[in-house]
Amino acid sequence: MSASAHGGEGGGVHHGPVEPFLNLTIPGTEYQLPIYHFVVTSWVIMFILALTAWLATRNMHRLPKGVQNVWEYIVEGLFGFFGGIMGESRARKYGPFLTTLFLYILLSNYSGLIPGAAMIKGFVPPTSNVSITAALAILVFLSIFYYGIRAKGIGFFKHFFQPMAFLFILNVVEELVRPVSLSLRLYGNVYGEETIISELGKMVPLIVPLPMMLLGVLLGAIQAFVFALLASTYIAGATEEHH
Amino acid sequence: MGSILESLGFEFPKFLWQVVNFLILLFILKKLAYKPILNMLDERKKSIEDAINNAETAKTEAEKLRKDYEARLAEAKQEAQDIIAKATKLGEEMKNEIVTKAQNEASKAIQKAQEEITREKDQAIAALRDEVAILAVMAAGKIIGKSITVEDHEKLVKEFVAEVGELKC
Repeated sequence: MSASAHGGEGGGVHHGPVEPFLNLTIPGTEYQLPIYHFVVTSWVIMFILALTAWLATRNMHRLPKGVQNVWEYIVEGLFGFFGGIMGESRARKYGPFLTTLFLYILLSNYSGLIPGAAMIKGFVPPTSNVSITAALAILVFLSIFYYGIRAKGIGFFKHFFQPMAFLFILNVVEELVRPVSLSLRLYGNVYGEETIISELGKMVPLIVPLPMMLLGVLLGAIQAFVFALLASTYIAGATEEHH
Repeated sequence: MGSILESLGFEFPKFLWQVVNFLILLFILKKLAYKPILNMLDERKKSIEDAINNAETAKTEAEKLRKDYEARLAEAKQEAQDIIAKATKLGEEMKNEIVTKAQNEASKAIQKAQEEITREKDQAIAALRDEVAILAVMAAGKIIGKSITVEDHEKLVKEFVAEVGELKC
């Protein structure tokens, strides 16, 4: 990912403000809907996931093969993993959300590793942008409340007063810090790695960035995994039945 | 916190885009991936469970049948043995019976034959005696030269026969 393509996103201290990929004028109004570069990448990722899923399940066989086998492996593996954290029945309920998080973040992280991708307009790894990781983290934050209240009703809020009522403030802070740490961790890792690869690539375009890219493969998977794992433990904690 | 995020490049439109995109992706994957795949996994699990259970049942059934057949076989064997033993015993008895009967009959026949022989012999001897006595008396009469009366004759014969009768023949 080149720094220039990178700089195209966001307007913080790191990047200068750059035009979105496309400004779509909404018919009949003056308002323009900005289609950012990362949105295009995001759509490509969504399209790949949806297409392979469609291919895998459009004509399912008892004895899986090809794409069906791959998707079954992914779903069985991840649902099994989440089942180990929260139990099989809860993994059934919350697994779709967590698995989608994992797959989306993984492919986002890996999209930055495709050689030459930086040259393509509209190709920016979504997870290298704090707005995107914040969106994912807020979704996790909201899902904790959504799933928690759905599972335990008003009793969900009891845990804010436990083990002692006066710890309420501390519990609220803990709850609020979660999305912040989730989003900053993912953003920091991916953005940092992207930056290193692009800067290295500018200095020594050949071979030298390669180990960094290999590390990127590892980090991309680990970050996606950590994000999904933390989200699953939060949801598991929120929906836990106390006996 | 907000200012920190902004300094990192946080922009609300992008945030909103991502939320919408993610929810769409979640919806699509639920429809296209998780639901059908989990159903398939459940179905497969169930069919495997069924197959295992069926195999287990069939095995138990087969085991039961085998035991049943073995028991029946043993029973049949025992029965056959009994029948053979019975038949052998019966045969032995019949043989003995037949042999005894035959022996009895044979001895009876022999006895009868012997009796017959003795009777015939006695008869023959008696007849011979009478004949011999008459002949002897006739011869004696000739020698004496006169006939003797019937009374004398009979008397003589009786005397003679009594005498001869004491001899062993």
